[in-house]
Amino acid sequence: MSISLLLVPLAVAGAAAVKAASDRGADGVCHVHTRMRDVTLLADALRDTGAEVATAEERLTARWEAVEAVFTRDAEGIWGAHFTGADQARAVELVTAVDVAYGRRVQRTVLDRLRDQAPAAGLRLESETVDENAGVRLVFEVERQ
Amino acid sequence: MTEKPRIVVTVNPDGTVSAETLDILGDDCLDYIAVLEDLIGGKVRDSAFTADHTRQRTFGTQQQVNRDVDPA
Repeated sequence: MSISLLLVPLAVAGAAAVKAASDRGADGVCHVHTRMRDVTLLADALRDTGAEVATAEERLTARWEAVEAVFTRDAEGIWGAHFTGADQARAVELVTAVDVAYGRRVQRTVLDRLRDQAPAAGLRLESETVDENAGVRLVFEVERQ
Repeated sequence: MTEKPRIVVTVNPDGTVSAETLDILGDDCLDYIAVLEDLIGGKVRDSAFTADHTRQRTFGTQQQVNRDVDPA
């Protein structure tokens, strides 16, 4: 045992987890910032929360009944949402739910990558277990160094 | 008897990943930082050597001293 690491997939921006900082404009549109970068995972996460999703160029629209959110990227490629039909608290609640779904999508994607690509890196999957927090623990034997 | 080297990776439901090398001696563990970054498609945000790293490096230094002495 010699080193421990904390890694963050590129699909996840920034150091913190949920950053649903929000502000409400005078026009009644509420803007919510996120940590999400990957458009495919974002669309999947939105569907996971029951949203109808439409994509068009650099814009993604999600609708939950009377609430609509238009997602666009900022200069750093991180998605933010403009909400209509929802107050600030509801907008943050929805983005938080999307963030949870997004995290699970990232988890699934990372696990698929590890299972697929570890053998080529000389790592043999020895065991896989799920902990009490829904984290997935993979133990790899190093076959060559 | 030395254990087989292992890497333990935990993928959390928030998308973050923690990893730890086991029985990989000294600075050899550093080679796996890039391997893990490539495997998960991400970057290391934080890292720490464990106590065993220091112990193994000390052991390695002692071996080096012995080798310096033996040829004479």
